[in-house]
Amino acid sequence: MIWFIAFALFAIGGAAGFVMHRSDFCLAGAFRDLFLFRQGRMLRVLLLLAVVAMPLYEAGRLLGILAVPFPLFGPPSLVNPLGGLFFGIGMVLAGGCVVGTLYKMAAGRLTSLVAFAGLLAGSALYAEIHPWWAQLARRGILASSVTLPRMLDLPPLLLLAPLAAVAGFWLRRWGRQGLLSQESYAEGHLQPWKAALWLAVLSLASALVSGMPMGITTAYAKLAGMLEALFVPGHVASLAFFATEPLSFTHPLWGVTLHGGPGPRLDGIALAQFPLIAGILCGSACSALRLGEWRFYTRVPIKQCLWAFVGGTLMGLSARMAPACNIWHLMGGLPILAGQSLLFVAGLFPGAWLGSRLLRKYVI
Amino acid sequence: MTATAMDELELDIRGQVCPSTLLTTLKEVNGNFERLKAGTLRLVVKTDARDATGTIPPMVKSMGFAVSVLKEQGYYMIVIGKEQQA
Repeated sequence: MIWFIAFALFAIGGAAGFVMHRSDFCLAGAFRDLFLFRQGRMLRVLLLLAVVAMPLYEAGRLLGILAVPFPLFGPPSLVNPLGGLFFGIGMVLAGGCVVGTLYKMAAGRLTSLVAFAGLLAGSALYAEIHPWWAQLARRGILASSVTLPRMLDLPPLLLLAPLAAVAGFWLRRWGRQGLLSQESYAEGHLQPWKAALWLAVLSLASALVSGMPMGITTAYAKLAGMLEALFVPGHVASLAFFATEPLSFTHPLWGVTLHGGPGPRLDGIALAQFPLIAGILCGSACSALRLGEWRFYTRVPIKQCLWAFVGGTLMGLSARMAPACNIWHLMGGLPILAGQSLLFVAGLFPGAWLGSRLLRKYVI
Repeated sequence: MTATAMDELELDIRGQVCPSTLLTTLKEVNGNFERLKAGTLRLVVKTDARDATGTIPPMVKSMGFAVSVLKEQGYYMIVIGKEQQA
């Protein structure tokens, strides 16, 4: 069963990487372009993704094959929007979010490779401040429930159905006005709205296979811990963050129990996230190679590389502070109305605005 | 029929961080607006950013310029110049 989960997640990641490269599905760009170019097309596409994922997750919950809220989601805290704010700044400076960094790096982009190194550095940095931050997060808890329907003591369907209906009305209207599409001259281009539909289905597939929607940043922390342990194993062993095991659940479909955390060991997190990461890398590289567009350009302004590292570090740090990254919250948390995700996304907007100002002033 | 000398300004933005292509192109279009309008300058942008082939053409067209996008060896070449009168 372990090997089935790993191979299935690799295939899901591969499909996601391919789709993201073909459509240039940049989640960082969705927020950034709203402030830089006053363009909201990709935000509308993101809304489409969340609205399509809503009934898929809810159907899974009603059928008893998905545990909603998903494992690793906790109650909302005042630190969630703060994490979103720093994450928003970081993703704009890095030129891509945690997944954008992966698919662009796999297609040969140097700045994304540098941002990836920053992501690992930021994850390792968080391990140093974890005890203090975790205490702050506990003090800032706003509710005991994880999702909005549970906070309001309502059946999820009662909130999700009208929300999906209203959003669906607007999406249909935008679709007719051509506000979800973009003409592109790129070879093999996939319309982002089609990519959103694919990603909603792939996120459901990930949830069915691993019990969780797509998420990869705990694995970044794990990878950072593994690399750090090569040089200072004693220090890594002494850090409380790497000893935590937030994942502990039994998959309702397979009956498999998964345990794991950010520590440098092979566990449930490694099983759920490493194959996804490898899949995204392979899928994107495969797409770029098939189009003859895989190139590694090294003549990049040094300040762009330095800022990409700063952005990556901010993302790695804030992904743990939030906790979790943007794809986890946007593709997994928002469709189930998780309080953490709603607050994280609220923080992403001012973060992307700040990041856009920094980008124009210092980076480009 | 008189021949006009046409200068070419090449921007090689391959490998740069997003959204370098769009921002740099818009800066150069605005900085050379009159020459581009007069048809004495042509802007050639080399980029590997796939999204730039979708974002630059409509923006530059709305400013009254002609745009063409060509795929070269592993990258895209976006050519911006004076709109041809019918």
